[in-house]
Order: sequence, then structure tokens, then C-alpha cells
Amino acid sequence: MSTPLVAVIQFPGSNCEYETKAVIDASGMQGRIFRWNQWRELNDASPDAFILPGGFSFQDRVRAGAVGAKERIMDFVVERAGDGLPVLGICNGAQILVESGLVPGWTSGSVQAGLASNHIEGRSGYLSRWTFLKVSDHAQLVSPWLSYLSGKVVPVPIAHAEGRFVFFPGDAGRIADCSALVYCDENGEESPDYPINPNGSTENLAGIMNPAGNVLAMMPHPERAFWLWQVPIRTPGEWGDRRISANHSTAISISRGPGELFFRGLAESLAVTASEET
Amino acid sequence: MSSIAIAVRLKAPDPAAATALSTMKRISPEETPDLLQRYDYWEFTGIECTENTVREIVEHFDDIVNPNKQSWSFTPSGGLPADDGDHTSAGVLVTDREDSISENWTAILKRRGFPVEKVMHSVLWIFGFSREISCTRLRSIVAGQAVTSRRDAGLLANPVSQTVRLILEEQAGDLLNR
Repeated sequence: MSTPLVAVIQFPGSNCEYETKAVIDASGMQGRIFRWNQWRELNDASPDAFILPGGFSFQDRVRAGAVGAKERIMDFVVERAGDGLPVLGICNGAQILVESGLVPGWTSGSVQAGLASNHIEGRSGYLSRWTFLKVSDHAQLVSPWLSYLSGKVVPVPIAHAEGRFVFFPGDAGRIADCSALVYCDENGEESPDYPINPNGSTENLAGIMNPAGNVLAMMPHPERAFWLWQVPIRTPGEWGDRRISANHSTAISISRGPGELFFRGLAESLAVTASEET
Repeated sequence: MSSIAIAVRLKAPDPAAATALSTMKRISPEETPDLLQRYDYWEFTGIECTENTVREIVEHFDDIVNPNKQSWSFTPSGGLPADDGDHTSAGVLVTDREDSISENWTAILKRRGFPVEKVMHSVLWIFGFSREISCTRLRSIVAGQAVTSRRDAGLLANPVSQTVRLILEEQAGDLLNR
């Protein structure tokens, strides 16, 4: 069985592609960075999964993610997403997926959500901080990225100015269908107030997925929480305790953090798929 | 209550407008203007808000207009597409449905004692067409590019999080000449 290939799409202005590739490699998969104009190479490589990393694609000109969504390389990503391959958009990658219409994907190809500027009582503008996430019940069953997060509350950092998921008022009744990750406190309790909900996102959403569950758009950065040493030492809850316990151990340099769960889920999903094919 | 609007643009070519135009050419080459300009559009509303009030604000806050790199002008509202001699023009005003920039500036100006009840920040895109174009066709192109309904259709505004107003009037042509 060959090592699964995960394509990391680098747009002009992406700035998380190398650490994203590094955590894919550390998860037992092969990460490979494709520039936005290497759509032929991407097609030839036929990756098993795709990640759109964080950053400021096209300098956020016009609107975050708006230009990247229309790049030719996204034709291939959209096509393969339609075939059921896993696609993850992190932060700016999530903005591109929303502008692509891949999520929430209720009507194929239509743009039905927005990632608006942060707007909540007590805070506005760019925000960089650690948040707590939990996975929605339905999502952990269908998303290849979330199978290891069942019942867990994980600290993962955010860094964005436009991360507030919004929808048309008429779609309020089906938001729960696309809910994948929600902001909460260290005990898993949700609140619409800052700082538990850091940006005013509808229904405390930190990530949404398409109906099939193979496409996930999330604003927090799991690749920045992949190693335990990346977790702040004063983080409340289980992961903070682990961090303190490991602080004076040489093992801390190789101990996995909460963000690793996202990539472990993908690796297992791709291994299962490969074994079924053989 | 009176509203005074200003349009602010870079003195140098605007890279966001260049990127937007090249993206339009790629996704819909037949529906592309010959020229595209981008402005920050500020509307100040207040009972005693006058052009002098706005001049004072602009001179005081270089976050609104940085005179080293931006120019500005008052802009009226209303009117029809204008032929400026070289271009037939139309505008698209894109505004966030919930906007911290506008709210924060409203709070700042009130705190500093300016007679302004509300500030609204938008982005104004001016389309210029050098070829002969009917009003119907112009409206169709501008409306199509204004709203992102699908990945391969529209660019300037996300209809979920932003509102769009088409400005098919003479003032669009006036702005294009500045």
C-alpha cells in the first residue's frame, strides 16, 4: 500500500503551507505543495486528499478567499471533492472553500455562506488567540477529519479578521446540518459571548462541512496545535494538564497535541479507503 | 438629517482593482469592463453634518484619508450612467451587513465631538466601458460582476455578508475622471 498523497495548495500569499506539509508528513502521509498555477501537475499527481492552508491568498484583495476561489486549480479541487475526496480548508483556506460554494454545499456550486468580519460585543477586528472546540455529533460520523475528536474538547488557536460564519436568514433551519465544529469553553459549554465565541459566528460555528462530510472549512489552525509544546502552558483542562506534565520531559519535543487528531483521522480514513480498494 | 459622502482612492494604481479586473477577464471575458477603479466610500450622517465637518474629519484622521498616498473628493448620489468622453461608467457600492469599521468610526467621531450620528464605510467600484454599450447591457454586466452567486459567476460582493447597490449615474463618470 503506497503512502497517501495529500496536496497542499499554495496560493500567492498563503503562509502556512510548509507547516501544514510538515504535520501531514508527521502523520504518516506524504504532503506535497502545489502552487496555484500547477494545476496540470496536480492533475497528474492525483492526490488522495487536499488541504487549502491559511494565509492571505492574493493579499485578501476584493474579499478574503474571493479571488483564490476562482483560480483554475480550484476546478480540479471542486471536481475531486465531488468525487468524495477529503478537502480541508484552514482559515484562509476555509474562506476560499466558502467562496467556492463547496461549503455548505446545499445547492451544488452556489455561494450560500459568508465569512464576515469579526463582530461581537467586546471585540472586533483581527484576533489571534487560543479557543476551545468540540465536534458536532453528526460531523464526527461523516467527516474524515473529525473521527478522532468524538467527545473531546480541544484547544486550537485562531488568527483571523474575517471568521464569522453567516448565512441567509432563510437558511437558519438547516445550519445544524452543516455544523462541524463549534467554539466552547474548556468544559465543552457553548456561549454566544466573547471570548468563548471569539468572533460572533452564527451558532458558535468554528467549522462547517458539505452534506457528504468530505469537505471541511474551519477557521482555527490545527497545524499550530499539532505538537504538545505548541499548547500554552496555562491552558485550562486536559490538554493544559498534559502540557504541564510534559514540561520538563524530553518527550515533549515529540508528544502530539490536540491538532494532531484532525490529521490522524484523515490518515486512518485514507488507509481504510486504500485497503478497501486493494 | 444630512448625509455627506466622500470617495477616497489611491494616487498610485490600485492593486486590488487590478487583481479584480484580471479575475473578471479570466472568469467571464465577455462581461468585463475596460477599466475598473476602487474607492473607499465614506458616508457621514448627522443633523449638523456639513461639508466643512467632513473636511475637518478628513484633515484630522489620516486613517480615513492618508494624504501621502490617497486623494479624495465629495460625491453626490443619484443620476444615470455618464459618458465621460472616453468611458461609459457605472458604479457598484459594496457594504458589509454588519461592519465594525463603521461602528468604531461612529463611536470615535462622537467621542471627539464631531456632529456625526452615523458613519458608513463601503467600497465603491467604478466600471468604465470605452466601447458602445447599451444601458441594458451595462446594467447586466455590472450586476453580474457585482454579486458572487457561484464560483464562476460574480466577484465583488458576497451576497450573504454584504449588500450591493448599483449606481448608474453621472457621478460615476465624474469619479472616473479624477
